[in-house]
Amino acid sequence: MATVVRSQPQRVDQPSESGQRELVTKKKANTEWHSGCRLLHSQGTSSDFERVTNFVGIIQHPDNRLQAVQAPACEACLKSEQKETTMKHLTVLLCASASALLVAAPTASAQPQSITVAWYGGNWGDAFQACVATPFTEATGIQVVADIGTSTTTLAKLQQQASAPTLDVAYMDGGISELAEEAGVLAAIDLDALPNGANLTDDAAYRNGNKVFAIGGGYYSLGLTYNTEEIGEAPTSWEALWDEDYAGAVTIPSPNNSAGIPFIFFLNQMMGGTPDDFTQTFERLKELDVASYFESSGAANNAFQSGEVVIGAHFNVGAWALIDSGLPIGFTVPSEGVWATDARLHIVEGGPNPEGAAQFLDMAMSAEAAACLAETLYLGPAVSEVELDPEVSRKLPWGQNGSVEDLMFFDWNEVNARRAELTETWNREIAR
Amino acid sequence: MTASRTALIGLIALPLAFSCAFFLVPLATVFAASVTSADGAGLTFASYARILFDEYHWSVMAVTFRLGILTTLICVVIGYPLAWYLVRIVRWRSWRRICVILLILPLFTSNIVRSFGWMVLLGRNGLVNETLESVGLIERPMRFLGTETGILIGLVYILLPFVVLTVGNALAKVDRSVEHASADLGASPASTFWHVTFPLSVPGVVSGAIIVFALAVSAYVTPALLSGGRVTVLAVLVFQQYSTVFDFHYGGALAITLLAFTLAMIGLSSLVSNRGAR
Repeated sequence: MATVVRSQPQRVDQPSESGQRELVTKKKANTEWHSGCRLLHSQGTSSDFERVTNFVGIIQHPDNRLQAVQAPACEACLKSEQKETTMKHLTVLLCASASALLVAAPTASAQPQSITVAWYGGNWGDAFQACVATPFTEATGIQVVADIGTSTTTLAKLQQQASAPTLDVAYMDGGISELAEEAGVLAAIDLDALPNGANLTDDAAYRNGNKVFAIGGGYYSLGLTYNTEEIGEAPTSWEALWDEDYAGAVTIPSPNNSAGIPFIFFLNQMMGGTPDDFTQTFERLKELDVASYFESSGAANNAFQSGEVVIGAHFNVGAWALIDSGLPIGFTVPSEGVWATDARLHIVEGGPNPEGAAQFLDMAMSAEAAACLAETLYLGPAVSEVELDPEVSRKLPWGQNGSVEDLMFFDWNEVNARRAELTETWNREIAR
Repeated sequence: MTASRTALIGLIALPLAFSCAFFLVPLATVFAASVTSADGAGLTFASYARILFDEYHWSVMAVTFRLGILTTLICVVIGYPLAWYLVRIVRWRSWRRICVILLILPLFTSNIVRSFGWMVLLGRNGLVNETLESVGLIERPMRFLGTETGILIGLVYILLPFVVLTVGNALAKVDRSVEHASADLGASPASTFWHVTFPLSVPGVVSGAIIVFALAVSAYVTPALLSGGRVTVLAVLVFQQYSTVFDFHYGGALAITLLAFTLAMIGLSSLVSNRGAR
C-alpha cells in the first residue's frame, strides 16, 4: 500500500511542457490522485482509508509547494464516479477541475500536511532526511520540505521572517540556538505532551527559565585529528599541536567557524587560564605554526585529505567520514578531553504548523532516529536507551570508552558575550 | 507620441526599479546600520571612528588595496599581450574562436570551485611545489597558501579574462588605416605601437583595470579560501562581522568604508588616465 501512496507526489512532479503547464499538471495531478484514492479504497478497510488519505491528499505543484486536498472531496468524487460509470470520462474531468479548485485554495485543512524544516547541507542534511524526516513522513503522512542553510543563515532567516515565519522547525548549533532564543524567534517546547519527550536526557533539554526552547539532536566534538602515516601513535595530549615536527602542518578552527571561539575557551581552560584572562592562551596561539585556520568543516577535510595538514582540531563527524573513506587519518580524545556541542532542534515561534513541528521533534527524540544519526554521522545520542554497534560507539564524540559525561561544554551565553571581543583580539594578534 | 513616451518611461522605470530593489535599498540598509548604534540611540559615527582611528584597520586596508593594485597590474601586463595575440596575431578564425571560448569558459564555473582548485595546486604537496622541486628550483616546498602571494595568484587567475576581453575589444576597434598611415610616414612598428595603437587602446585598458580592481578589493571567496585564515582582507572582515559576530553596525561601516575607498581609487585613476589621454 505504501508504494502506491508514495508514488503520488513523485509522479505529479513532472511538469508538462505545454503552454498551459500548470493547468495540465493540476489535472494530471488530480487524475493520479484519484486513481491512488480508488486503489486504496478498494484495497484497504475504511479506517486504513482514513489514515492514508492524509498522505494521498498531498499534491506537489510544479512550483514545489505542497498542497493538501481534503478527504471529503476525494470521497464525493468516488461516489459520483460509481454512479455514473458510463460517463466516466466526463466525471473524472469534473472531479479533476473541482479538486483543482481545492488545490488552488490555500491549505485550509485542520491536519497539517507539510512542514518546513531548516537544516544543514551536505551529509548532515542527508542524514536528517533519512533518519528523522523520512520515518516522520511514513508515520504521520506529513511531508517535510527541507530549507537548507547553516545555523547562522537560518537564524538570519528567522529574524527576517519574525512576523510571518515560513519555517516550522529549525536545526541550529549550540550557541546560535541561544542567540535565536535571545532574538525571540523560538516557541516553547512542551516535552510532557510528546510521547518520546521522556527519552530525552535532562541535559539535552535547553531551558530559558521554565521554557524549553531547544532539544538536543546529537552531540559532536572537536577532537585531535592526525595523519596516521606521519604520526604512528595516537597523540595523548593537545600539546602535540605545538610539536616542532608538525610545524606548518597544523590546523585549528578560525573564529569564523562556530567552533572557533569555544575552542579558545577550551584551550584557555586547558592551559589553566581564567575566563577573565586569555593573554596566555593567545601567546601560545601565536606560537602555533599552522598551515591554516579552517573556516568550514569542509576546508578542514580538504586540508587533511591533501596532506596539507598533519595534525589539528577537527570534528569527529568530519574526521570519521575521512577515515571511513579509507584515508590514513586518526581521531582521538586526548587526556585533557574534548570540547563538544550539539545540533539542536527548535520550534519556530508562530510557524505555520506548530502541531506538525511538535510531532517532528517527537520523531527526532525516538531511539531509532538517534541510533540512525549515530550510525551515519557519529552524532552522540541525546536520548537514552540507544543500542549501538561497538564499531559505531567508538566513533562517537567521546571516543572509545567515554560517554557524554566526558565531554566539555561551556556556557554558551558566556561564550556569546565574549565572542566579539575575542574575535577582535584574534584578528589583531593571530590573523595578520 | 504618447505611446512612445509611455514605452520610454517603461524602459527607464524597469531598470530603475530593479536597481532600487536589488542595489540601492540593500545599500541604504547597510548604510543605515553603519550610522546607528547597537542600542538604537540614534545617529552615531562611532563605527567609522573605530575604523578610521585604528592602525589595525589601516593595515587590513593596506593588504586589501595592495592585493587589488597588484592583481590589476599583473592582469594588465599579462592580459594585454594575450588580447593582442587574440585580435592581431591569430589569423585562423576557428582557432580564435577556440581561444575566446577557453578564455570565457572558466567564468561559467563558480569562484569557489576555481579557488578550491588553486588550493590543491598550491598546497605543500601540490602540483606547483612538486614541479618546482622536480626541476630543482626549490629544495623545500614553498608556502603559498596562507600568504598574500597565494591569494594574488588566485585573484589574477580568476580576474584575467576581464582584462583580455575589454582590451581585446578596444584593440579590435583601433582603425588599422591609422596604423598604416603611421608606417607610411616612416614610424617603426614599435614606434607605431607606442604612439598610435597603445594610446588608442587605453580606454579598454582603463575599463578592464577598473573592473579587475573593483572585483579584487571586494573579493571574498578567493582570499577566504587561499588565505587559510592567516591573511585578513576587508571583505573577510565584513563577512565575519555579519555572520559570526552579528555586529551589523561595525560590519556595515566596514562595507561602506571599502566602497568609499574603492570609488575613490577608481575616481582617481580615471582622472589620471583622462589627464594622460589629453
